[in-house]
Amino acid sequence: MTDTQEKKLHGVYAEFDAVDTLLAACRRVRDAGYTRTDAYTPFPVHGIEKALGIRPTALPWIVLGCGLTGSAIGICMQVWMNGINYPYIISGKPFYSIPAFIPVTFELTILLSAFGAFFGMLALNRLPKFSNPVFTSPRFDRATDDKFFLYIDASDPRFDHNGVTRLLGDIGGTEIQDVYEDNSSTRVPTAIKVAFGVLAFLAIVPLLAVARMRVTNSPNPRFHVFYDMDFSPAKGPQTTSTLFADGRAMRPDVPGTVAVGQFDEDPNFYTGVDLDELARRDQTRAVHLVRTMQVPEAEAAPASGDQPAAETPWLAKNPRPVSLALLERGRMQFEIYCATCHGNDGRGRGLVTARAQQILSSAWVQPSSLHQETLYQDVYPDGKLFSVISNGIRKMGGYGSQISVRDRWAVVAYVRALQLSQNAALEDLPVNRRNDLSRRKAEVEQQLAEQAEAERRRAEEAAGTTTAPAAEEAAPAPAETPAEAAAPAPVTPEQPAATEPAPAPATEAAPAEPAPAADAEMEAAATPAAEPAPATEPAPATEPAPATEPEPATEPAPAAEPAPAPASEPEPTPSPEPAPATEPAPEPAPATEPEPAAEPEPEPAPATEPQPETEPASEPEADAEPAEEPAAAS
Amino acid sequence: MSLAITQGLDNTVERPGERAPLVLGDSTYHSITESVSQIAERPPSKAWVVGLMVSAALASWFGICIAYLIYTGVGVWGNNSPVFWGWPIVNFVFWVGIGHAGTLISAILYLFRQDWRTSINRAAEAMTIFAVVCAATFPGIHVGRAWLAFWLAPYPSLNLWVWPQFRSPLLWDVFAVSTYGTVSLLFWYMGMIPDLATFRDRSRNKWRRMAYGILSLGWSGSSRHWMRYEKAYALLAALAAPLVLSVHTIVSFDFAVSQVPGWHTTIFPPYFVAGAIFSGFAMVLTLMVPARSIFSLEKLITVRHLDNMCKIILATGTIVGLAYGTEFFIAWYGQVTEEKFAFINRAFGPYWWAYWTMITCNVISPQLFWFKANRTIPWRIVVISIFVNIGMWFERFVIVITSLSRDYLPSSWAYFSPTWVDWSMLIGSFGLFFTLFLLFCRFMPVINMAEVKATLAGQLHHSQHGDI
Amino acid sequence: MSEHTHKLKPADDPSFQLPASLAALAVPLGIGGAALLLVGILLGLFVLSDGDVGGKRFTMSAYLTGFMYCFTISLGCLFFVLIQHLCRAGWSVVVRRVAEMMMIAIPALGLLFIPVLVTAWSDSGTLYPWSNPGYADAHGVPAGVWAEKLRYLSSDWFTVRSVVYLVLLSAIAIYYFQLSRRQDETGEITLTERMQARSGPAVIAFSLITSFAAFDWLMSLAPMWFSTMFGVYIFAGSVLTAHAAIAVGVYLLQSRGAIRDEVTVEHYHDLGKLLFGFVTFWTYIAFSQFVLIWYGNIPEETHWYYTRLLGSWGPVSYLLIFFHWLFPFLGLLSRHIRRKPALVFAWSVYLLLVHFVDLAWIVMPEASTNFGGAVGVATALLVTLGMVGLYVGGILWFMRAKQVRVLPVRDPRLPESLAFENI
Repeated sequence: MTDTQEKKLHGVYAEFDAVDTLLAACRRVRDAGYTRTDAYTPFPVHGIEKALGIRPTALPWIVLGCGLTGSAIGICMQVWMNGINYPYIISGKPFYSIPAFIPVTFELTILLSAFGAFFGMLALNRLPKFSNPVFTSPRFDRATDDKFFLYIDASDPRFDHNGVTRLLGDIGGTEIQDVYEDNSSTRVPTAIKVAFGVLAFLAIVPLLAVARMRVTNSPNPRFHVFYDMDFSPAKGPQTTSTLFADGRAMRPDVPGTVAVGQFDEDPNFYTGVDLDELARRDQTRAVHLVRTMQVPEAEAAPASGDQPAAETPWLAKNPRPVSLALLERGRMQFEIYCATCHGNDGRGRGLVTARAQQILSSAWVQPSSLHQETLYQDVYPDGKLFSVISNGIRKMGGYGSQISVRDRWAVVAYVRALQLSQNAALEDLPVNRRNDLSRRKAEVEQQLAEQAEAERRRAEEAAGTTTAPAAEEAAPAPAETPAEAAAPAPVTPEQPAATEPAPAPATEAAPAEPAPAADAEMEAAATPAAEPAPATEPAPATEPAPATEPEPATEPAPAAEPAPAPASEPEPTPSPEPAPATEPAPEPAPATEPEPAAEPEPEPAPATEPQPETEPASEPEADAEPAEEPAAAS
Repeated sequence: MSLAITQGLDNTVERPGERAPLVLGDSTYHSITESVSQIAERPPSKAWVVGLMVSAALASWFGICIAYLIYTGVGVWGNNSPVFWGWPIVNFVFWVGIGHAGTLISAILYLFRQDWRTSINRAAEAMTIFAVVCAATFPGIHVGRAWLAFWLAPYPSLNLWVWPQFRSPLLWDVFAVSTYGTVSLLFWYMGMIPDLATFRDRSRNKWRRMAYGILSLGWSGSSRHWMRYEKAYALLAALAAPLVLSVHTIVSFDFAVSQVPGWHTTIFPPYFVAGAIFSGFAMVLTLMVPARSIFSLEKLITVRHLDNMCKIILATGTIVGLAYGTEFFIAWYGQVTEEKFAFINRAFGPYWWAYWTMITCNVISPQLFWFKANRTIPWRIVVISIFVNIGMWFERFVIVITSLSRDYLPSSWAYFSPTWVDWSMLIGSFGLFFTLFLLFCRFMPVINMAEVKATLAGQLHHSQHGDI
Repeated sequence: MSEHTHKLKPADDPSFQLPASLAALAVPLGIGGAALLLVGILLGLFVLSDGDVGGKRFTMSAYLTGFMYCFTISLGCLFFVLIQHLCRAGWSVVVRRVAEMMMIAIPALGLLFIPVLVTAWSDSGTLYPWSNPGYADAHGVPAGVWAEKLRYLSSDWFTVRSVVYLVLLSAIAIYYFQLSRRQDETGEITLTERMQARSGPAVIAFSLITSFAAFDWLMSLAPMWFSTMFGVYIFAGSVLTAHAAIAVGVYLLQSRGAIRDEVTVEHYHDLGKLLFGFVTFWTYIAFSQFVLIWYGNIPEETHWYYTRLLGSWGPVSYLLIFFHWLFPFLGLLSRHIRRKPALVFAWSVYLLLVHFVDLAWIVMPEASTNFGGAVGVATALLVTLGMVGLYVGGILWFMRAKQVRVLPVRDPRLPESLAFENI
C-alpha cells in the first residue's frame, strides 16, 4: 500500500440519521453555493433533487429515440423481408400486411426502448464503476442500510476543507469524514482473470467452431444424430409399400370420390355422349360409361357379342356457349397441351414432329392434321372430338387428367375455329373485311397482271414467243380462286398463323392473311426464282409468299394454303425448297397439291388446281410450293 | 382467526381519510435490511433444503423427459390428429400467464402509485422470469428439431434463403415472449442493483463481496444516480405495462386469428390478459404466503398485502367469468352452427369434466374472496389460490383441446389423451420453476429493501406530520 | 411537505358553487340545444333525399349517434366514480364531483332514448334492420337462423332490456350521487364506507349492462354481425371520453373562478396520464377487434369492416388511426404537456371531437355508405351538437337548481387529494 504517499483529498462527507435532517442539510448546502455535491441514501428520497439542485435527466429522450428506432426497424424489416425481398402469399394476405406486422413492430419498440432505459441509465450514471473513493470508509457501508450521507466534492469551486467541515457540522451532520482517493492495488485477482478467460473461451470458441463447420465442406459422411429424422420412414410419392395388396404407397381415391368443382349433374358434359340416346341403343355400354366416370379403373365393357356395336350418339354441339372468351381459353389450352404435337395451326407439324424429323425417328407417326375433311364437325361431332381429347386415340394419350372438363370443351370450340380458319368462304367474312379483301385482291391482281405482263414481255424478248395471253389468262383467273380460297391460307406460320385464326372466327384470319399474303406475293413476284426459299422462311411473310406463289391468279390469302403448310415448318422447309424449284411447275403442282391437301387442307387442292395452268411465270415458285408440300408431307 | 390479527399486526382496516401502515411492527430501515438479508446470509433452513431437493429432482426429471422427447420425436406426446396442439401449448400459455402478475405488480401498480407493492414486487418479478423460462421451453422443444430453433430469428441465412413468416402469430409469440423475458429480466435486475449493493456492503466473505460487488455494478446510493435510476424505473414501468398486455394478447392471437370455432372470437385479447393476471396473482400468493412464514417476513408482507392481492384475484376472476358469459351469449347470438356447437360441446361433450372443473375453480372459487376471512387467513388463501391455478390450467386445456377435438369436420373428431411424457413435463416444469425460485430466495434479496424503506419513510413522514 | 398550499376552505365557500356565468348558460344551452336538435332532425327527414327509409334511417342514425355521444360520456363518468371508490383512490376526490355531475344525467338521457325505442317498434327497419320482418328474405338469411335471432332481437324484448339497462344505471348513478351529496352536508365517513363496499357489485352490474347495451343498441344495427369484444370497445371509448370530459369540465370551472386552488397541476397531470393510458387502451381494443376479423377473413364478420372501408367511410377509417391514436398518443406522451392545464384541456377537447367521429363511424355506415353529402354531415353535426347542448344545459340547470357544489367538500379523503403530489 501507499501510506507513505500523500493521498489526494477527494471530498468530505457527513452522516445523517433521517430523511428530514438530510433534506434540510441539503438545502443549506445548496444555498451556500456548492454544486459538486451528492447525497448517498439507501433509498431514493423524495424531493432531494430540488434540495441539492440536481438537474433532470435527458434519459426520456434517449428512450424515445430508441423506441422510434425500434418501430422503424420493426416495420421496415417486415415489409422488406416479407413484402419486397421474398414476397409470398400466406393465407391470402397482401404482401404488405400492415395489420399483421404491428405486433412485432410493437415488441421491437418496447425492446429497444427498454434497452435505452436500462443501458442509458447505466451509461449516464457511468456504471459499472467498481472502484469509488467513498467506499474506502467502512462507515459508508451503511449508506445502503439505514444512514444518509451528504458529500461535498473537493473539486467544487467553493471547496475549502475547513469551511466545508464546519458547515457540515453546523447543519447537523455527524461522523464527518474526509474521503481520500483509493490508492489500493488495482490488480485483478488471478482467479477472476482465469474465470473471465474461461467464460470468454466458452462463449466464443464453440460458436466459432460451429460457424466454421457450417461454412466448410467435409469429406466425411454426415453424422446423423437422429437417423430416423433425416431418413424418414414415411413413404414418399411413387414408392412401393408392402402394406397394401396393390403394392402402392399412394392410395387411389375412394370409389365415388368427386373432386371439388368436378361434378356436374349433366353426364353428357363429362363424356361428350348423349347418354340417353346411348342408353336406348346399347344399355350396357351406357351403364359402363357412366361407371367409368366414377371409377376410372372400371373394367372394360363386356363384349357385345357378334353384333356390331351401336353407333355412339356423340353430342353434336358444344354444350358450352361459344364466345370469344371461350375461344381464348381454348386457344390457351390448345397451345399448352395440343400444339406441341399438332402444331399451333393444327396441321400436325408441332415441335415434337420437328424434333422427330430432326433425329430421323423411324417410330414417329405425324399427328393428324386437324384440317382433314374427315375431322370436320359434320362428320366428326364435337362430342367425339371431346372424347378423343379426354381418352386419346391411337398413339395419342388421353388428356382427361390434365385438362378440366370445361377446358376440354373450350379446346373443342377452338379446334372448330381453327378448322374454320382454313375453310372459310368469302361470305363468312364481315362486310368491311370482304370489301377490304376485294380491294386488295384487285390491287394485287393488277400488280400481278403487270408483273406477268413484264415477264411475258421478257420471255417474249428472250424466246420470241407470245406468252402474254397466258399471263393475261392468269390475270382473270385469280379473280375466281381468291373467292373460293378466301378462307384458310395463312395458318402456316407458327405464331402469326396461330394468332390469326385463334382470336376470332377464321373469317378474321382470312382477311389478315391476304394482306401479308399480298405483300409477300409482291415480293415473291418480284424475285421469281429466288423467292420460294426465302419467301417461305419468314413466318408471316412466308405464309403468303408460298401461298401466293402457286396461284398468282388465285392470289389472295386463301390460295396461300398449300404454301402455308410447308411454310409453317421453318427449319425443315429450307432444304426441300431448292429441289422443288427445279421441278416443272404444272405437273408437280397439281400432283403434289392433293397430297398435302389430303392431310392438312381439303380446300386448297381445288383452289390450287388452276394455279399451275395459269402461272407459267410463277412456275418456279409454284413448283417450290407444291414441291415443298410433298417434302413436308413426308 | 388470522395469526396476524392476534399478533396485533392487522392493517387491513383502513379508515377513509387515513392510510393503513404498510410496514408493520416497529420496523426501522435497519430492521428491514436485517429481515431480508439474513435469508441469504444465514444457512438455509431445513424446509428450504428439502424443498430444493424435491424440486431439483422434478426439474431433472423434466430435463430427462426433454432429452427423451428430442431423441425419440414429438410423437411421445399425445398430440395427434385432430388435436395437434396438446399439452405443450397449454403449458406454455399457462406459464406465460403466470408470469404476468410479476410485471403487473412491478409496473402497473407502480404507475398507479400503490405503495403496497414494494414488499412483494421483487419475488413476483423473479417469479415472472422463472415462469417465462418454463414457458419458453415448451415452444422450444415442440418444434422437433430444437437445435434449429434459431431459424425463427430474422437473420440472413445463406442456407435457408428465406425469411421468417411475420404474418404468423407464432412468430409474433417469439418476439413477444423474448421481449417480455428480456424486459422483465432488465427490470428485475435493475431493481436489484441497490439491494445487491446492500448485500455487498454486508458481506464478510471476500468471494461473496466480489460476487455481489460485480452484480451491483458499483452502486453507491448516490442521489444523482438515484434520480436517473428512478427515471429509468418509471420509464421501464411505463414500457412494461403495455408490454405485459401485449404479450398475452399476442399469445391469444395464436388462437383468435384462426377460424376454429371457440377460438376465433374477438374478446380473447383482454380476456387472456385478465386470466393471466388472475393466475399470476394466485401463484404469487401460493408462493408468498408460505414464504413470509418461513422467512419471518410478516411485518413486511403484511396481511393487507395479502388482502389486496386477493381482491385483485377476485376482480380479474370476475372479469374472466364475464368473458365466459359474453362468449357463450355471442355464440348463441351469432347463430353460427359450429360456434354454438363448440360451446355446448365444451359443457356437455366428452371433456365436460374439464369444463366444469374450470368453471368451479375460476368462477366460483374466487367469489369466496368476497369474504374477508378468506382473504386474511393464510391457509385459506393458499387453498383458493391453488384452486385458481388449477382452474386456469384447465381453462387453457378446455380452449385448446375441446375446440380441436371437435371442429368443422366430424370425420376428423377424436379424443385426445395425454401420455406419461405430457404428465411428466407438466409436473417437471413445476419442478424447474420451484428450483429456480428457491435458489433465488437463497441468494438474492427477496424483497425490494430500498423501496420498502422508502415506503417506511413515507409512512413515518405522514405519521409525524399528520394527515396533510 | 407538499408544495401546494392547501388550506382547507370552509364548506360554504363560494368557489365551491357553480359559477354564476356557467349557471346562466343552463337555459340558453338547453333551449339552443333543443332547437339545434330539432333543426337537425328536420333537415335529415325532409331535406336529405336518400329515399323514404333512407332519409329517416340516416336521421335516426344521426340521432342515435348524438344520443350515444352523450350517453357514453355519462357512462364513462359513472365508471370513473365507481372505480375511484373501489380503489379507495385519494387523488381524484377534487375532480370526482364533476364526474358525478355528468353521470347523474343518465336518467334524463333515458328520456331522450324514447325516440330510438319508438323507431325499434316500427316495422320498416328504419334504424334497426331486425325490426323489419322482410330483412331475412332480402338478405338471404336462413329462416331458422333468423327465427332464433328474433327471439332476442324483437321489439318488446329490446324495450324491456333497454328499460332495465337505463333503470339500473340510473339507480346506481342516483345512489352514488345522493350519498356523495349527503356527505357534503354531514361529512359522515360511513357514507364513503358504504359507497366503497357497494362499488364492487356496482362495477359488475355496470360491466354487464354496458356490454349488453352495446350489443343491443349498436351491434344490432348490423343484425348478422357479432363481436364478443364490442362491449369492451364501447366501454373503452366511453371511459376515454369521460376523462376528457372531466378535464374539460374542471378547466372550465376553474376558468370561471371555481375550485382554483383545489385542483392543481398534479391533478391535471394525473388526468393527462389517464387520458394517455386510455387512448392506448382504446387503440389496443380497436386494433385487436380489427386484426382478428381481418386475419380470419370470414365474410360474415368482415362485412362490418368492409362497409366502413367503402365510399366516404374509407378515409375516415384510416384517419381514425392517425387522429384517434397517433396524434393524441404523441401529444400526451410528455410529462411536460401533462403538467400544463391548458394543454390537457386542449387535448381533451380534441379527444371529445374525435370520439364523435368514432361513434359516427360505428353507427352511420349502417345507414349510408357516404355522409349524405353536406346535408348529411350537417344533420349529424346539428343533431349531436343539439344533444350536447341539451345535455350540458340540463346538467347546469340541475346543478343550479339543486345547489350542488362542484367539490365534495366533506369527503374524508379531500385533504389527501388536495395535498397530492405526483411522482
